[in-house]
Amino acid sequence: MFQSFRSAMTWIHTWFGLVLGFVLMGAFFFGALCVFDREIDKWAIPEARFEVQPMPSFDRVLLPEFEAMSPSLETMQIWGIVADNRSSLIDLVSIHETSAQGDARTERVVKMLDPRTGKVTNGDHFKIGSEFFYPLHYSLTLDWQGLGEWIVAFSGMMMLAALISGIVIHRKLFREFFTFRPGKGFRRSTLDLHNLTGVVALPFHFFFAFTGVLIFVGQYFPIGTTQLAQLHELHEQLEIGESKIPTERSGHAAPLASVDAMMAEARRRWAAHGMPGEVGVIHLRFVGDANAHVAIYPAATNSLQDLLNGVHFNGATGAVLQVDPAPNAVQQVAGFLTGLHLQPFRHWPLRWLYALGGLAGCVCIATGLLFFVEKRKHQHAKQGSQAIHVVDALAVTTVTGMVIATLGILIVNRLLPDTLPAGWPRHDDLERYAFWFAWLLAMAHAFWRTAPVAQGRMAPAWVEQCWTITVMSVTAVLLNWITTGDHLLRTLSDTYWPVAGLDLALLTVAAIAALAGRKIKRRAENASMIAESVAQDAARA
Amino acid sequence: VRDALLLIAAFVTSIAGMGWLALSMDVHWRQVCGNAFGSPAPTKRLRALGTLGLGTSLVLCLSVNHASIASLVWVMALTAAAFSIAFILTWRAHWLRLLFPPARPTAG
Repeated sequence: MFQSFRSAMTWIHTWFGLVLGFVLMGAFFFGALCVFDREIDKWAIPEARFEVQPMPSFDRVLLPEFEAMSPSLETMQIWGIVADNRSSLIDLVSIHETSAQGDARTERVVKMLDPRTGKVTNGDHFKIGSEFFYPLHYSLTLDWQGLGEWIVAFSGMMMLAALISGIVIHRKLFREFFTFRPGKGFRRSTLDLHNLTGVVALPFHFFFAFTGVLIFVGQYFPIGTTQLAQLHELHEQLEIGESKIPTERSGHAAPLASVDAMMAEARRRWAAHGMPGEVGVIHLRFVGDANAHVAIYPAATNSLQDLLNGVHFNGATGAVLQVDPAPNAVQQVAGFLTGLHLQPFRHWPLRWLYALGGLAGCVCIATGLLFFVEKRKHQHAKQGSQAIHVVDALAVTTVTGMVIATLGILIVNRLLPDTLPAGWPRHDDLERYAFWFAWLLAMAHAFWRTAPVAQGRMAPAWVEQCWTITVMSVTAVLLNWITTGDHLLRTLSDTYWPVAGLDLALLTVAAIAALAGRKIKRRAENASMIAESVAQDAARA
Repeated sequence: VRDALLLIAAFVTSIAGMGWLALSMDVHWRQVCGNAFGSPAPTKRLRALGTLGLGTSLVLCLSVNHASIASLVWVMALTAAAFSIAFILTWRAHWLRLLFPPARPTAG
């Protein structure tokens, strides 16, 4: 079928890249935004705009809230507290059994608590960063049967294939390692940028595609419930036998001992092991029973494996039941590979490098799509084919359309009042609709305004969407100022980086989009002038 | 502050290392100096300097963070350094003369 190995690799690279590039672009772009997910949350929820606090007292502050969240102690299953090292508001999760219509089900209640006042926040806030962009980047928020996760995982697999086939078809991998020639014609410079962003950031692309696929391995190789189900069950029973952690209620009521004392003991143990840290996660089960279990984990800050250092207590007596054993070699490798992707640490230089790596991935995919169009558009124009029109429209939709959708959700977040009129959908639903609606509009515009590509000309959609991005970015910054009073001068002088950083990033996006729009426009004008003079020469001849 | 300075040093050495590696390539030497290598060609010296630069950067990263994080910082620093050198070569190639004094246009 193919004349050489290289031509087979070219085929794979081109066609899988084209079909899945659109998905990968989303995974990379929203993945890059997720580096700052908690910061985006703070921009979107003005009540969360304060410094990160230490874990408040459980006995005095958190316990009453949990008691209010659960109908009764008999039906409580899990109380969880998550206070990671970058969120200012603390998440309280209560899961309890409900026996509606006779069969046992569970209900989950989630509240956000302000640790300074000890009060839960009012209203339904939407954490755009950690509850929307984050799931979007690995599941496209297509939850039906885990379809989105399958699509993204398959795309991740093909990304690995594209990286390897890309290396095979690249003729001058080392000779052109540092090469970018913007003056050598559009097609050459696009390919240069594609190669540069692909090759130089190759370790990043490879490890993120690989670990991303690896994190969801249980989804597509569910051997624990299929081929190895018996071994899995046996192992589980063995573990339960060895562990001192209770797995069910004893039936004897007993009040909960002081969890504050347990937190102090956990901190003391971490410090004694040379890993001093704050409490990040608390997990309680069977509260009110003699078998109550309290697990306390540190907030990961310094290494990729902090979360494996849990200390377990008997909730009724406050005695230490056991400490998580040191991870074995397999757990250490797995912890490193998933940790490098999920980045629980607070290392800001590394987080920025990750964000830039993700954006380099976007540039790589986008230039690949542009190169595909540039290479074929004149040929397609001669043949009168519309295929390239579709590809260019989809490229506009994914590159500029995606940014427009992102700005759309930020703008609507700032426009919606805190309390919505009765009968309206919830905040999170409205903001989600805004996101998809903005993207849909951008797509419709892209299809309408890329028609000239089919005649071999530049599509005006690119310039118009660049202007739209500029206007929307500035609007988002202004709306943040108007609705919260937090303008850049204030956030910068307070050095409140989560909000100042996002505002500055929005203004940078506005400037880049304006510059790009101007450049594209000028180039399109030059191209049409040349085309006209060629036509005039031809007419004269 | 000490950690921040060491990290900055790690970034600087990785950029210098990548710069030296780029200079050891004929095509980039031409971009920087406008002419081909003189003889003897400094290729080996430049490659050794480049390797030393990247190696120093790794040691500096390891002195700041736990090895798991330091390895990631190093790999990402190399990526950022390679991008910086590529863009310097595109727009301000003569800046790289600073890295290697013998790299200057020879008269005639």
